[in-house]
Amino acid sequence: MEMLGIFSNIESAAGAVDGLIRAGFTEAQIDSLTSVPYPDGVLVRSERRSWFRWLALGGGLCGAAAGFGLAAGTAWLYPVQTGDKPIIALYPTAIICFEVAMLCAIIGAMAGMFLEMGLPALKKRPYDPAIAEGCIGICLSIHPGGEAVECDPGVRPEECIGGISSISAAEQRERAEEIMRAAGVLRIIGEEQP
Amino acid sequence: MSEFQESHNSNVSHNSHSTPPAKNAAHINDDLLSSLRPPTLRWYLLAFFLGAVVAWGLAAFTYQMMNGMYVTGKNRPVMWGFYITGFVFWVGLSHSGTMVSSILRLSQANWRRPILRAAEAMTVFCITVAGMFPLIHLGRNWTFFYMIPYPNQRGLWPNFRSALLWDMTAITAYIIGSSLFLYLGLLPDLAVARDRTSGWRHTMYGILAMGWRGTSHEWSVYHKASTLMAAMIIPVAVSVHSIVAWDFAVTVVPGWHSTIFPPYFVIGAILSGVAAVITLMITIRKAFHLEEYLTPLHFDNMGKLLLVISLLWSYAYFVEVQTIWYAHEPIEWEVFGFMSGKYTPQLLVMLLGNSLLPITCMCIKRLRRSIGVMLVVSLLVNVGMFIERFLIIVPSLSHKNMPFAWGSYSPSWVEISINIAALAGFALLFTLFAKFFPIMAISDVRELEARKAEVLLGRARVPSIAGEE
Repeated sequence: MEMLGIFSNIESAAGAVDGLIRAGFTEAQIDSLTSVPYPDGVLVRSERRSWFRWLALGGGLCGAAAGFGLAAGTAWLYPVQTGDKPIIALYPTAIICFEVAMLCAIIGAMAGMFLEMGLPALKKRPYDPAIAEGCIGICLSIHPGGEAVECDPGVRPEECIGGISSISAAEQRERAEEIMRAAGVLRIIGEEQP
Repeated sequence: MSEFQESHNSNVSHNSHSTPPAKNAAHINDDLLSSLRPPTLRWYLLAFFLGAVVAWGLAAFTYQMMNGMYVTGKNRPVMWGFYITGFVFWVGLSHSGTMVSSILRLSQANWRRPILRAAEAMTVFCITVAGMFPLIHLGRNWTFFYMIPYPNQRGLWPNFRSALLWDMTAITAYIIGSSLFLYLGLLPDLAVARDRTSGWRHTMYGILAMGWRGTSHEWSVYHKASTLMAAMIIPVAVSVHSIVAWDFAVTVVPGWHSTIFPPYFVIGAILSGVAAVITLMITIRKAFHLEEYLTPLHFDNMGKLLLVISLLWSYAYFVEVQTIWYAHEPIEWEVFGFMSGKYTPQLLVMLLGNSLLPITCMCIKRLRRSIGVMLVVSLLVNVGMFIERFLIIVPSLSHKNMPFAWGSYSPSWVEISINIAALAGFALLFTLFAKFFPIMAISDVRELEARKAEVLLGRARVPSIAGEE
């Protein structure tokens, strides 16, 4: 379950994040929604390692192989014997390899970026158009109660569950709303009413 | 009801401690999305005029297809004329948009932000226009698919030893790469446009924005991807124009067979591209009243860039000519003599537009900051660059190694019409783009405003640290 608080400025949004963490939520449960980027830590910390570059690399390698196949394969399938020259000319093959490799690396980077971002979004998640006008959204994932999971080095950040999860989801939500109101939230949007 | 809604929420600011220079987020959105308002009569008239010129070009092309290539001015020995001139020119123009954008992005030059979108869009449309010229030049255009490498029964095969096939591969890579680069930059702005529109526009922007919400993770990945894409697109851009240069340099035609051609072409391409970006900046600034965003500082910096590139181009041209002159190889000298004798006025306009004028004017700060001067200089640079492409292609083919086969060339009305239609086609594509998509990078400009904002630290007000690092 997610809830989204809309704040008019960055200071009140940061105040709400501090309050939520003090109340027992973890950084991993809190996300910021902004229309301009802020450095990591100004609102929330997302120390996740990025993996999409590997897809760019993979795309590049596949592209190089495809380029080689295209240039060398065509020459091999349709040979043009010119004097004593080799059928597969390395120089043109290298050029085609490079172009196709770069093309596939670029496509790989874009595809990887969208995959890592989780876009296109298949599920409607809380959002407010006021964010485009400069408001700050603080999105909180509420776990349905249960065991807390410490953010130890061996645990992935998204698997951490704050100590507050020992109380019910409804109570967690109430507590979070209180904190956000104290910080000066403009409005709170639940997952059900995006 | 208008599908484009202006914000009335002017009291909403993303930075409560903004000092006067930092603009309100809603105010910036209003300004930068003003181009998406419903078209005016003037816009329709412009689009109609450009469309009519494109239609004229299509009619000329149809006439060429119906009657054959004899309707062009091409004849032995000059088989490359205005079409290939146009091709090289438009590839060159396309060069700088993405390149300038990438270099400025990688070097984190803050003044780049209002320029990026126009430069990136210019690249996509220029390379699209450029890509059409080889097809127009082919003759028997309905068999263009013979160039595409796939198993066939025709006994024909694409020969990858030909530089022309390298061209096709490189241009395909560049068109796709540049389009993705443009789309990447547009992504957060599409979300802003989505949130401010209704009706079909809202649906269109919603689909294109793919559910972007601006989470910290999305921004983090987005910035890493932007940097990676910028780093990857530069070698592709350089390779495209190097390959276009190799179309000439790997032949044994006098005047073409030169090792300096690839870097010379790349420099020339950047020169024409930078000039075209300046022309577009001036047009956008005037058309959408964006004087607050495209300030004299931007023209000053672009002017400095133009100065450096023009100096480099002049150096490369001098080296090329000086080597021919000093070596005095008869056929090379014959080609140069023919070019400078038959095309003296064009040569002088080229030297004036590409070298003399930009170097003298761009040395003076007052002139760099003058919009009128920048418009004249940038337009003349591109006139000079078109002439330069023509003077590279035609004189060398006119006076090749066999004097009994020397000839001359002048373009026919069909070739001139198609070249003018290409220019109109580019302008039409750009006009349509500006009507449907944010013409300035909103999130980039707003990020810059956030950087301008000051925060209270103790008793002092210090610049905020908001940035992309």
